[in-house]
Amino acid sequence: MILKELRRRSLLGGLCKTNTMKDQSFANGESRYRLQLRKGAATVGLPPAWVDVSEEIASNVQRARVKMNELAKAHAKALMPSFGDGKEDQQNIEALTTEITNLLKKSEKKLLQKLSAAGPSEDSNVRKNVQRQLATDLQNLSMELRKKQSTYLKCLRQQMEDAADLEMNLNGNRPKEEDDDLDDMIFSEHQMARLKQSEVYTVEREREIQQIVESVNELAQIMKDLSVLVIDQGTIVDRIDYNIQNVATTVEEGLKQLQKAERTQKQGGMVMCATVLVIMCFVMLVLLILKEIIF
Amino acid sequence: MVLVSAVRDYVYRMLQDISGMKVLILDSQTVSIVSVVYSQSELLQKEVFLVELIDSISKSKESMSHLKAVYFLRPTSENIQYMRRQLSNPRFGEYHLFFSNMLKDTQIHLLADSDEQEVVQQVQEFYADFIAVDPYHFTLNMPSNHYYILPAVVDPSNLQHFCDRAVDGIGAVFLALKRRPIIRYSRASDIAKRIAQETALMYQQESGLFDFRRMEMSPLLLIVDRRDDPVTPLLNQWTYQAMVHELIGIQDNKVDLRSIGKFPKDQQEVVLSSEQDAFFKANMYENFGDIGMNIKRMVDDFQQVAKSNQNIQTIEDMAKFVDNYPEYRKMHGNVSKHVTLVTEMSKIVEERKLMLVSETEQDLACNGGQVAAFEAVTNLLNNESVSDIDRLRLVMLYALRYEKESPVQLMQLFNKLASRSAKYKPGLVQFLLKQAGADKRTGDLYGNRDFLNIARNMARGLKGVENVYTQHQPLLFQTMESIIKGRLRDVDYPYVGNHFQQGRPQEVVIFIVGGTTYEESRSVAQLNASNSGIRFILGGTAVLNSKRFLKDLEEAQGIARSNANVV
Repeated sequence: MILKELRRRSLLGGLCKTNTMKDQSFANGESRYRLQLRKGAATVGLPPAWVDVSEEIASNVQRARVKMNELAKAHAKALMPSFGDGKEDQQNIEALTTEITNLLKKSEKKLLQKLSAAGPSEDSNVRKNVQRQLATDLQNLSMELRKKQSTYLKCLRQQMEDAADLEMNLNGNRPKEEDDDLDDMIFSEHQMARLKQSEVYTVEREREIQQIVESVNELAQIMKDLSVLVIDQGTIVDRIDYNIQNVATTVEEGLKQLQKAERTQKQGGMVMCATVLVIMCFVMLVLLILKEIIF
Repeated sequence: MVLVSAVRDYVYRMLQDISGMKVLILDSQTVSIVSVVYSQSELLQKEVFLVELIDSISKSKESMSHLKAVYFLRPTSENIQYMRRQLSNPRFGEYHLFFSNMLKDTQIHLLADSDEQEVVQQVQEFYADFIAVDPYHFTLNMPSNHYYILPAVVDPSNLQHFCDRAVDGIGAVFLALKRRPIIRYSRASDIAKRIAQETALMYQQESGLFDFRRMEMSPLLLIVDRRDDPVTPLLNQWTYQAMVHELIGIQDNKVDLRSIGKFPKDQQEVVLSSEQDAFFKANMYENFGDIGMNIKRMVDDFQQVAKSNQNIQTIEDMAKFVDNYPEYRKMHGNVSKHVTLVTEMSKIVEERKLMLVSETEQDLACNGGQVAAFEAVTNLLNNESVSDIDRLRLVMLYALRYEKESPVQLMQLFNKLASRSAKYKPGLVQFLLKQAGADKRTGDLYGNRDFLNIARNMARGLKGVENVYTQHQPLLFQTMESIIKGRLRDVDYPYVGNHFQQGRPQEVVIFIVGGTTYEESRSVAQLNASNSGIRFILGGTAVLNSKRFLKDLEEAQGIARSNANVV
């Protein structure tokens, strides 16, 4: 975590330094010229735009991790027997869970859309690798969240069963005592009250479980999407030399594809036909409107 | 874990202190060095988002100054030239240079001169100059390995390259271990002597670098020649790792299956690494029969898991399935990899009738009986389904063992071989005998030189062997046993310089000039596991199988012949 923070700071620091250098160069014409000659571009040191997206996703992952720690504490607290009705705890847990799930979903969408690279350049390889690493982080986080939720679910269910058993035992013992009619009536009132309470309790627990199951399914969806990006460890795809070889072949393939595309583009007969048709459509539309207006 | 963890530690140190997005640039040799110990996903964790070769980096002009460049190269003059060009037109924000061996002063001056824009942040030497294929086995993967066979006068400059690379590799191993060894070499081998002396010279010259704290017992470096034991690379193997290398071929812990048939995309190349594959680690030294049973057990386990995955009824089952999916996928990949390998190897064994051939080979290597051996070899030579390379190997094994007894029968075999095998290059067997015949070998390859060994062999013959196909013990095993007992003869393995050490060393590095085999690395691993008090490390200029060994012989023979013609 500290390293990531330092990294962001150093990147920002680099940006600041470049800016000041640029300012100086604006002040002093001669040095600007030298700078251009040497480095060849004014945007020296500025990372490409997609780096901002990757930074954002990384910070989302970080926030999600912090929230997960809070969620673990909230789970533990909710499972402890309490005298209140525990509604606050439940709401807290729900809020945290939805927040984390949303963070993960947002990051995943951004990852798949903004960070996807096209074309066989070196920059696209860097992008692809950044995407892979963030995908691994996201997947690990969602798996962790699911594990936490399923253990919480199990504990909840266990508690429910225990409570139901306890109630059954209590209710079951009563009918044995049949001495006093008055006692029976009083006890049956107590019984009813307790029964109602346990019903309410059960219903609430059911609802909680339902919600958790929903979020589990959402996370499953995320994992499925991400699993395409994540490298399987121990396979040939995880070997550095294999990836270097592949880059070489993909670059060649990419060049061939580009050349082919260029050739087909030049013979753009199809494109011309389509353009002509669209123009005709517009013309007809305009004529139609004119006809309506005039008549 | 020693060698693998040393190289991993170096790579970790290279990347650890540099923050931000990095690009790692390697050359064709350091790619192998890093790939066997570090995976792509681990590099991604360390924020290395691009890995390139130094020659392809030079071609591109794209400026990526938001990346920091980490170079890990061998200090060759070619690499220094590439570096100079790249430093004069820097593409990256920062340059961190790491070299896998010692830089000469001139090279440092050249680099400093070309760094006009002062982009270089550090230059360090990290001595990871060997490929750590297994925890106690390293190789140098030398492309032209055959120079060890030729005498020095034939091609002095290439031989010098060969020796230099060997000395660099050995030096790097000891620097990684932070020890300075006592050097012994095999008496009868000129090239072993040469490499030993050049290593000793390097230690003298760079004494500042090697000034480690002297412990009571210095480790031992033993340099031997492949030709002392030409039998081991010629034999067919039946333990998993050795067998895969012999029948298909392992390169840098990768197996390329495309040469033996058509496979789906994800099974064309597979990784066989004991670090990453628990099943392989448990089975790499098991023989073929046991592997079959273990794979069947693994497949059964996997089928259980697969069946339970198909039976998804409730939401809980779904949740469990998604939880276990990554594990399931990994298991699936692993199972198909091993099943494919074993299936292909079984096919090859069937085609080439290797069970039959190997029985005779093992007899030739281990037991006596010249008459029976001659008959068996003749029968196999007459057998149509035996392939050319197997015939060649059989005749070679026979010739190595019985070269002195009955030369007439030997000539008969040569003629039969020449008539049967169209591709057989005439004179290869004689060439082998000239290089590795009984007079040229140190040590007792067949256990028939001194009485103790003869007695031991007879006892073994009477007792019978567990498995006919794996009864061969490489000569290396005997050498290691003598070291353990402290009885390595000075006559056979003299010291370089006048270091003389009483007692047994605690660490021994054995370097085989000409290449090691996986059978030998298996012996080393087994001895290390038996807690004898000594830790052995094995290394060589290449990892041989019979194809590679024969290729080296052929190339050397070709050069020797052309040289003789010129003269």
